[in-house]
Amino acid sequence: MEDIQEILEDFLVEAFELIEQLDQNLVELESNPDDLELLNSIFRVAHTIKGSSSFLNFDVLTGLTHHMEDVLNKARRGELKLTPDVMDVVLESIDLMKALLHAIRDNGNDTSIGIDITDICRRLDAISTGDVIPESTSKSVEEAMSPTLEEEADYSQLSDQEVEDEIERLLKMRKEEDKKRKESSGTASSAPAKNESEVPVVQKSAPTKREDLSSAAATPVKKETASAMEQTIRVEVKRLDHLMNLIGELVLGKNRLLKIYDDVEERYEGEKFLEELNQVVSSISLVTTDLQIAVMKTRMLPIAKVFNKFPRMVRDLSRELGKQIELEISGEETELDKSIVEEIGDPLVHIIRNSCDHGVETMEARRAKGKPETGLIQLKAYNEGNNIVIEITDDGNGLDPDILRSKAIEKGMITEREADGMSDKEAYALIFKPALSTAKVVTNVSGRGVGMDVVKTNIEKLNGIIDVDSELGQGTVIRLKIPLTLAIIQALLVGAQEEYYAIPLASVLETVRIPLDEIYTIEGKNVLRLRDEVLSLVRLSDIFGVKQVYENSEHAYVVVIGLAEAKLGVIVDTLVGQEEIVIKSLGDYLQGIEGIAGATIRGDGRVTLIIDVAALMTLAKGISVDIRAAAEATVKVKSAPSDYIVLAVDDSAMDRNIMKKSMEPIGVKVLEASNGQEALNMLKSAEHSIDAVLIDIEMPRMDGYTLATEIRKYSKYKNLPLIAVTSRTSKSDRLRGVESGMSEYITKPYSPEYLESVVRKNIKL
Amino acid sequence: MNDKLNNIIQKQQKQIEEPHKKEEDVVQLVGFIIGQEEYAVPILSIQEIIKPIEYTRVPSVPDYILGVFNLRGSVIPLIDLRRKFKMESVRQSEDTRYIVMKGRDNTAGFVIDRLTEAIRIKSGKIGPPPETIHADKGMVYGIGMRDDNILTILKVEALLKRDF
Repeated sequence: MEDIQEILEDFLVEAFELIEQLDQNLVELESNPDDLELLNSIFRVAHTIKGSSSFLNFDVLTGLTHHMEDVLNKARRGELKLTPDVMDVVLESIDLMKALLHAIRDNGNDTSIGIDITDICRRLDAISTGDVIPESTSKSVEEAMSPTLEEEADYSQLSDQEVEDEIERLLKMRKEEDKKRKESSGTASSAPAKNESEVPVVQKSAPTKREDLSSAAATPVKKETASAMEQTIRVEVKRLDHLMNLIGELVLGKNRLLKIYDDVEERYEGEKFLEELNQVVSSISLVTTDLQIAVMKTRMLPIAKVFNKFPRMVRDLSRELGKQIELEISGEETELDKSIVEEIGDPLVHIIRNSCDHGVETMEARRAKGKPETGLIQLKAYNEGNNIVIEITDDGNGLDPDILRSKAIEKGMITEREADGMSDKEAYALIFKPALSTAKVVTNVSGRGVGMDVVKTNIEKLNGIIDVDSELGQGTVIRLKIPLTLAIIQALLVGAQEEYYAIPLASVLETVRIPLDEIYTIEGKNVLRLRDEVLSLVRLSDIFGVKQVYENSEHAYVVVIGLAEAKLGVIVDTLVGQEEIVIKSLGDYLQGIEGIAGATIRGDGRVTLIIDVAALMTLAKGISVDIRAAAEATVKVKSAPSDYIVLAVDDSAMDRNIMKKSMEPIGVKVLEASNGQEALNMLKSAEHSIDAVLIDIEMPRMDGYTLATEIRKYSKYKNLPLIAVTSRTSKSDRLRGVESGMSEYITKPYSPEYLESVVRKNIKL
Repeated sequence: MNDKLNNIIQKQQKQIEEPHKKEEDVVQLVGFIIGQEEYAVPILSIQEIIKPIEYTRVPSVPDYILGVFNLRGSVIPLIDLRRKFKMESVRQSEDTRYIVMKGRDNTAGFVIDRLTEAIRIKSGKIGPPPETIHADKGMVYGIGMRDDNILTILKVEALLKRDF
């Protein structure tokens, strides 16, 4: 029993792989009907599936594939010409075959979902027996299939004789129709006309031409046969996921090690063992990175897996829409993480459907514009850094920004003023708004204004960016930029006051430093003019309610983030740098917090939250803080000298007194601390806003150098004047003072006036 | 000789049975202080007890969730029980501990003022929570009567349940 199960699983895996290739091949075959190689490989697929399914007793599937095999075999031997109509039936039978395979996978048998194959089998038979019917009628037999397709009569209950009669009847009907059509209009759609002209030719030439076929088969564009044996093993995705998690831990460990090495390097500069440690650390970090890439690669699939279904889709659509569209695929070997490949399919379907329906014009329209009749859609994938870019280009009508604007105003999505201020590029972005469609008619294919919204949501989920470019009358380019993998990402670490956040680098477009007076307020929103764009701005600390601990400077760092088609400038207080981070979940308890996508553990062991860029953009809309006004309001209100506070740190009470005395003339308030630890606690508690610190070097518990180093670790004290007051006069002591972050170095004994002037200078009084 | 042997065997039998019996109706708890009162949770629901370590604030959550901390590579939420019980929060002291509790699908750290002791209490001595407490989202499992004081036994699943 278990053996059977195993065989069944193998059969399914194999069958699905074969079928994927099949779709691709069949569409290619239609444009290259003489490609014997293709025909052979298609025939083999049907044959293989038939063989395996009969072994496993799937009678329905066996029956279906048997009939397909008949048709394909005839075509292979040149006894049958594959016209688009024949193709429709073959493709339909493949769809049925897929449905049956799905049923087998889900239910273990092919009978329970009740797919009826008698109808399709009959049509397949009609095709394959078409040859034995005398030459004159064979054409009609092929044509007879279309009515069968349309009418969907229940043939399964008819006896053979009745079926024959029915076919006769339909044939007659069809012949009459044909006659009428020929008489009534010469402008009937060109597809059937083409058919008629093609079929007789083939009928005559087929028997004689067979030899030429095999030689001609070499000339058409051929895909390399997939038959080249590959050495592979199948591995459960779960195992790879586990491996990926372990690698994640390793990356965190590596980050930690690098950080520790930095600290050690600082402390033991010049020591011999450092060199050795350095070697170990760098080799570990190198190996970890390689390992991570290697494991990531095991999860990678070529994007061909998604692209393969599009030729068929475009073919079906173009027939349905009565247009001629050619799909050109390149870069299908580009690889992507499995989870992303699974997500990317839907958005691409919508984009391509849109291109077919709204983008590419009808043949008449194209002719009128002097374009080639056949529209061209290009689907291209390529790598760009840590991202993959998928480009969908059509040479159709292009987007009209004015129509988009007026549609959006009509639907009340934007105001007229907003529309006026919109650049063309921003107007293109409107196509992603739900319920906005520029199609004049809703068709089967599109026009409801849902599809592009789906595109946006899915791409956002993948942290991707959408870029739309279009030229009216010339075509549209939609570019999707998606990060290669989801588990370990590159992030930009930023500081908001004293908190740190990680922004996925894939969403970061650029960072700029701007003076605060370049921020303007329009209707309560903060905006920045960046080159030729107007960018709305929001402070990260406003979004996340970060406690304000230090004052604003006159400049702001703006991280420009982009997601799908939207852009936003986020003001942060510090830019820490780029780091590779491992995404960890916050657990059930904190699941779904707005604006937070997860957490990561940094090199120092602390937890840093990862920003959910999509949610951040939504949150930003609800925030209206006048950044400039807020910045001005928090500017210190210290005016009188008595508002200023100086901290004197010295273990000798006498020395502290001297310091106090020297500062009396300035009139500032002086606080005292008897050692470094005490001073640090006072600063940490932030009870007083201290404006300068006088530091003795020689102190119990914590000396002056350590104190200075510790103070500088707080970003809010980065610019706090630290004045060393010491009897250590050697040059190396001075140097150490500078290294530990002292701003001034005064040697004892000093004159009170000198200390006074230094303090005055430093607190700018 | 035979009597003696019988006696010994009987005694051993008793010894074997007795602790078994005892264990059945004795609940083992860990006691701790929050504010003025002593609380307890079942010892089996505690994953570990650690000294305070640094945590990261998480935005847009109720104030009793202090943030998240790193417990050997896992990111775990930290909940201040003082604030959860609507008491004034105080500065962390030398005695402050994080109790990491594990439920069916959640793990979280809880800040407590200080630990007291491991407590064994007969289940017969645990009464239902007083009627008035029921309103408190059912966080109380019962009241343990002890010789010198009473003990509020907390329901771990309720503590670990997200209620915002």
